[in-house]
Formats: sequence, structure tokens, C-alpha cells
Amino acid sequence: MERIVGIDLGTTNSLVAVLEEDGPRVLTEPESGARLLPSAVAFLPGGEVVVGNRARELAPDHPFEAILSVKRFMGVGLEHVSDEDRRRYRFVDGREGAVRFAVAGREVTPPEVSAHILRELKRWAEHALGGPVAKAVITVPAYFNDSQRQATKDAGRLAGLEVLRLVNEPTAAALAYGLDKGEEGTIAVYDLGGGTFDISVLKLRGGIFEVLATNGDTRLGGDDLDARLAEVVLAELPSELAGRPSVRARARAAAERAKQELSAQLRTEVVLDLPEVGRQARAPIGREDFERLVRDIVARTVGPCRSALKDAGGDVREIKEVVAVGGSTRAPLVRRQIEEIFGRPALVDIDPDEVVALGAGIQAGILAGGRRDMLLLDVVPLSLGIETMGGVFTRLIERNTTIPATVKETFTTAVDSQTSVDVHVLQGERELAADNRSLARFKIPISPMPAGVPRLEVTFLVDANGILSVTASDLRTGLERSVEVKPSYGLTEEEMERMLEESIDHAEDDVRQRQVREARVEADVILAATRQALAAHGPLLVPGEGDAIGAAVAGLETARTGVDYVGIRDAIETLSRTTEPFARRVMDESLREALANRRLEDI
Amino acid sequence: MHGSETQERQCWRCGAGVGAGLVCPHCEAPQPLPPGSDLFAVLGLPRRLVLDGAELERSYHARSRALHPDRHQTAEARARELSERASAMLNRAYRTLRDPVARGRYWLELHGKPLHLDNKEVPAPLAADVFDTQEKLEELRSSPTPELRDEVRQTRDALAARLHALQEDLSSLYAGRNGDGLLGELKRRLSEIAYLQTLLGDIEATLGNQRGAHSRH
Repeated sequence: MERIVGIDLGTTNSLVAVLEEDGPRVLTEPESGARLLPSAVAFLPGGEVVVGNRARELAPDHPFEAILSVKRFMGVGLEHVSDEDRRRYRFVDGREGAVRFAVAGREVTPPEVSAHILRELKRWAEHALGGPVAKAVITVPAYFNDSQRQATKDAGRLAGLEVLRLVNEPTAAALAYGLDKGEEGTIAVYDLGGGTFDISVLKLRGGIFEVLATNGDTRLGGDDLDARLAEVVLAELPSELAGRPSVRARARAAAERAKQELSAQLRTEVVLDLPEVGRQARAPIGREDFERLVRDIVARTVGPCRSALKDAGGDVREIKEVVAVGGSTRAPLVRRQIEEIFGRPALVDIDPDEVVALGAGIQAGILAGGRRDMLLLDVVPLSLGIETMGGVFTRLIERNTTIPATVKETFTTAVDSQTSVDVHVLQGERELAADNRSLARFKIPISPMPAGVPRLEVTFLVDANGILSVTASDLRTGLERSVEVKPSYGLTEEEMERMLEESIDHAEDDVRQRQVREARVEADVILAATRQALAAHGPLLVPGEGDAIGAAVAGLETARTGVDYVGIRDAIETLSRTTEPFARRVMDESLREALANRRLEDI
Repeated sequence: MHGSETQERQCWRCGAGVGAGLVCPHCEAPQPLPPGSDLFAVLGLPRRLVLDGAELERSYHARSRALHPDRHQTAEARARELSERASAMLNRAYRTLRDPVARGRYWLELHGKPLHLDNKEVPAPLAADVFDTQEKLEELRSSPTPELRDEVRQTRDALAARLHALQEDLSSLYAGRNGDGLLGELKRRLSEIAYLQTLLGDIEATLGNQRGAHSRH
């Protein structure tokens, strides 16, 4: 069976999992055994890109170059970025469409940044599974709109992964719980992640996981709690210092640590070390102070929960279980909020950091044909529609409609000899088109005819990933019409092609860098061993041998400073061939000595 | 009428006879919907206004298991495409038929008497209430007072109760076949329901705006 992996591409951390015979399993980093990969990517001046913990550690000193929560920027435009985030990163100005980060003298889009995270997880998986991995299921917040989903899919493609399915995070969590407990009935999943909040209500019956309603806020998460707490310690500093991006980055990291401590203990301190200015700022804080500080942020989860319950058409008393997902649900305040909304304590049997990845692994297994007893029926989170006369938003597919979903609309022309029909597609719940999120403009060519005569049938299809596609046919001729798509906040097909080419080049670079590093390590090992043998067994050298070995050592030392790993390997080979007779003599001598000692002992 | 046509349907992939099925009984490939299928047929149910909710769900789940794209992910492009289209139709059928109001509207469409929701004509039984409510809303928008808000809330609750009763009544209308008169009666009741829904939406919007205006002070 083909290996399909499940990936939780989180705001703070990312994980990869697979479904095995006895259930889903999280795959680990080969070198350290780590299960979580911090979703951090740093772009260094030499063009090197580092991912994970190292990138995270670079953040305080390189706040603009180390991107810590790229997920917040997937599929959005600069006009949707908060003031705080604009101070936090450097964006390319004056560009329409998707945001672009300005890092280390180059421009990168959020899908490119995410692709680095995915590539690293792919490496973990390939190592753990002992073979290539080319297909994946990736999770997204349930409340992600079409552009955000498309951006996630693009990131997968750039990382060399065919994204077979985007699964909503709360639904994935429900899968993991459902498999674990085999429960039936209606459940709610409350998912407060690093940057996004989702609430989903699902009905579980006979292995079918039917999402009844979902709601959320893609700009609400644990990051917001950290930012609020960071302000407390920043207030201890003069404003000039507190405004520096590197200081703010350190303050956020310190706040995150303190927040986690407050989940387990009643008091702690936010400690902000600033060695470059020889200062330290400390702010003692109690759990109650912290809760007062962030209560309004946590309370913002109430509205979406009520809306989801209402849309699900049920009563809160029908909810059998509430599953808590996301690291932020460890906070006692959040637990109390959940209990207040649903009238029951949250279920936290599965690690809230891992449950989404485990669910993604299960869905990957379902797609591979490994679990024919389970099936997910998910919904589109936000209504989809088009702009009609007078800037009105006309809904075509209502929110919480089960996907795949399709609808057909007939269009005609308003003026004589019109050669194309433009369709502006938007997503949201507001009455006016301008108040909703623009997804794309579609241009459909038609043969010129008097106004009102052409009849164009346009089919809107939301696939099982929650992504829209549009096809059109001319009702008079029955011919299919091509549709030219201009995504509002996404990458065009040409941009994707260019990035794919670049990413293949980079992937080669990455492989080369790794091989250079490995060859250098090997060179250092053999150089050290040679030096040690020469020092200990010099008398064993035959005439001329010392010079030959010396030349080979010098050759390898020169080669190892370069970036040509083939050259390094050749020099290693030369040195080991040159030292071989000497090494044999050293070995024989050691053996003789060992035997001599033994004989002495025997006597 | 199309019985003989469906007899001849053959699986596009393996050639086995598929009858009226949505997937091939032999190789499980999803099949194009038989031409002229209505939403009842998509769910494999008789064309009737009275439906058993549990049976509807059973049928929907069973067909989803066979048709959903997750089941055909590793198959060829044609199977994936057909599965997507058929699932989308199945989802629409379930969404439409499980809701008595949507089912009623669909019934009118099937019988060539669609309900036009942009119909500006106020249904006669509602005329007086509608007039009264619009007047109150207008007043609330121009000079809001707490008393007026309460009054509007009471109106809202009364109208909501009436809507609920009308919806409940649909099932008895569906159960009692009154032949030719049914379509006309159905249309009258559904337009009343649609009108009440719009009116309730207006009331909520006005009350909501008022709340926003208050919190800004």
C-alpha cells in the first residue's frame, strides 16, 4: 500500500503522522526523536534556510528574517495584516494580492515559507518509513476560506507533496477521538490553536463523521494571549527599547513560557533578558492577573460556539462530549470557558498538541483504502457567492453545506457584442459584496451577439477540500468554455510554475549542502584518527611514507574547506588508501601487544 | 418510462450491467446519474412528499459510503470526477429533502409551479401584521426607546411562534393527500413561511443594529 502521510501544519508547531495496523502514530525527527517541529523558518543572508528549533532561536536576533507564524499570512492580502504583525515582519509594499515577506534581500510568499516546513516533515517521514513520501493529507483550520486553503495546497506542491486532501483540524481531531472511543452521538470540538480558533459540531454514527456546523475566527489564538502578556513586561522598559522588534520578539517568547507555566502553577515571572543592552526586565504575575488580562480574548470564542450550535439545529444539551484541541486549551481559564459554554468539562484524553496530526494520519489511511469503515462528511465554513447588480452579494452555496457541493447559474450579456462575461466570486456572510472576502475573478469568453441572447451556464463546484472551481458551457452551442482565473490573494499558475522550478533548484541545493556537511564530518574523523596514529606509532612508518601521508592530509584539509563534496570524498579516499599499509602495521602491532599481554597473564 | 433505458446502463469501466445504481456492483466505479434523475431518485427514494427522516438518513449515509471522493481517491481521473459530481448531487438531495420547507419548494418546482421569492405581494393572512410590524420597525429606527424595543421583541416572538406552527403544519398537509388542491395550498403556505422568514430577518437586523448603536455610546 502506498504511504500517505497526515500533516498538521500548525501556527506554532507542525507534526507528521501515519496510520498503522494498530492505529495512528506520530513520526519523529531522525536525529533527536522530537515529535513537534516548531513552525519557524529563518532566511539567512547567505541564502541558507533553516527550519524548526534553530530558526526559532534565531528570531530574537533576526526578527525580520525568522518567520514564526506564517500560517497567519496564508492566502491573505497586506490589507488584512494587523498593525502588530506589520511591525513584526517586513512586507513588500505596493503589491496587490498575496502578502510577500522581505527577508535577507529576497521576497518570499507564505506558501514558499510553509513549503520549507513541509519539506522538513517530509524528510522526517521518509526517514521513519524508509522510503520516499510523495502524498499527503494536510490539515487546515475549519474556518479557513478558499484562498487560505488554496495557499496551503500550493505550499504542499512546492514541497514536492501531492496534497490529496485538506482536512479541517477539528474534524481530524474528532476522527482521532472517534477511532479511540468508538462513540456515537453529537460531539463538539473546541480548537484553540496558536493563531486560529475553530468550533465544529459533528454527528458520529456507524463510522460516519458528519459535520453539522462549523464556525470560528482565523485571527484568534494563543499568539494573542502571548502578545497581551508580553506588553506587561515591555511596560517595564523605556519606550525606545520596548519598540525594538528584537526586544518585542524576545518578550513574546518570554510571555509564551510564562503562560505555559501558569497552566500548572499559580505564580510565575515573565523574565526578559536583554544582554545586548545589559538589562533585564522582570514582571511577576499570578494566574488570576493573567486571566483578568486575557479574559476578553478567550470570551471571543463564545460567539462562534453559539452560532455553530444554532446552525447545527440542536440544543446544547444534545452535545455528548466536548473535545479540547490545541495547546491553548491547557490554560485553566480556557477550560472553564468551555465548561461554561457547553455545561460539561472538556475531554482531554489525547494530547491536544498531537490529536490533529493523529486524525490527519487516520484520514490518510482512509484515502489509501485502509479504513473502509470510516467516512468524513465535512462542510464549507463560509457562504460562497457572486457579486450582482449594485454590489450586492448573492449567495450560491450557503455556509455549512456538505461538500462536495455544486450549483449552476445561467448568465447572459448586458450589452451588444460583449465578448466575455466576468464573474466575481466572494466568500462571507455579509450582505454587500465589498464586505466579504474576494476570492477570484473569472473571465469567460463568449461569441459576440446582441445583448441578452447568449446563455452561459456556469457551474460552481466546491470539492471535498473546500476549494472552489468554476466551469462554464455555452447553452446555445453546448460547448465547454475556458475559464480564466485571477485569484485575489493567491498565486497564479505562472507564479506557481516559476516557484516550482526554483524549489527544485533549491531542493538540489539542500541535498548538496547536506552532503557537504556529511563529507566534512567524515573528513574530520579520518584526519583526527590519522594524527593520533602518527603521534602514537611514528616509528612504524617506512621511509617516504610519512611525506606521502602528510601530502594526503594537506590535500584533504584543503578540500574540506571547499563546498565540493565529491572533491572532499576523493581526498578522503586518497588519504585512506595512502595510510592503509601504515594502519595495517599499527593494527598488527596492537594485536601483538594484546597477545603478548595475554601470554604474560596466562603464565 | 425510463425503466427500459436504465436496464441498458452499463459500467463505463468494466462493462457490467449497473441497472439504476450509482456505482457499479462489480467494480465499484461511480456511474453517471441516469438522465432525468430527480433528487428523490438520487437518494433511491420514491417520489413522495411524506418522508421518514431515519430512512432518509440511512439511505444518504449508505450512498455516501459508496460515492464519496474519499472512496475513489486512488482511482483514475474519470472515477474521481464522477464521484465528486455524484456526491455533490447526493449532498444537495439530502439537504433539500430533509427540510420540509425546502422539500415543499422542490415539490413545487418538480410540478412546474416554482415559488418566486422576489414576489412582492404580501400573502393575505399576513397583510395586517406585516404592515403593523414595518411601521414599528420604522419608528424604532428613527426614534428608539426601550419600550418600543420590547414591543418589537414581543412581535418577533409572536411571529416566530406563528412560523413554527406553519412549519409543523406542513407534515399534516403532506400526509393528507388533497389531490389537485395540494399544489395551490402548498404554494400559499410556503410563501407565507418565506415572507415570515424575511420579516423575522428584518426584525433581527434592526434589533441588532440598535444594540450596536447603544454600545457605541
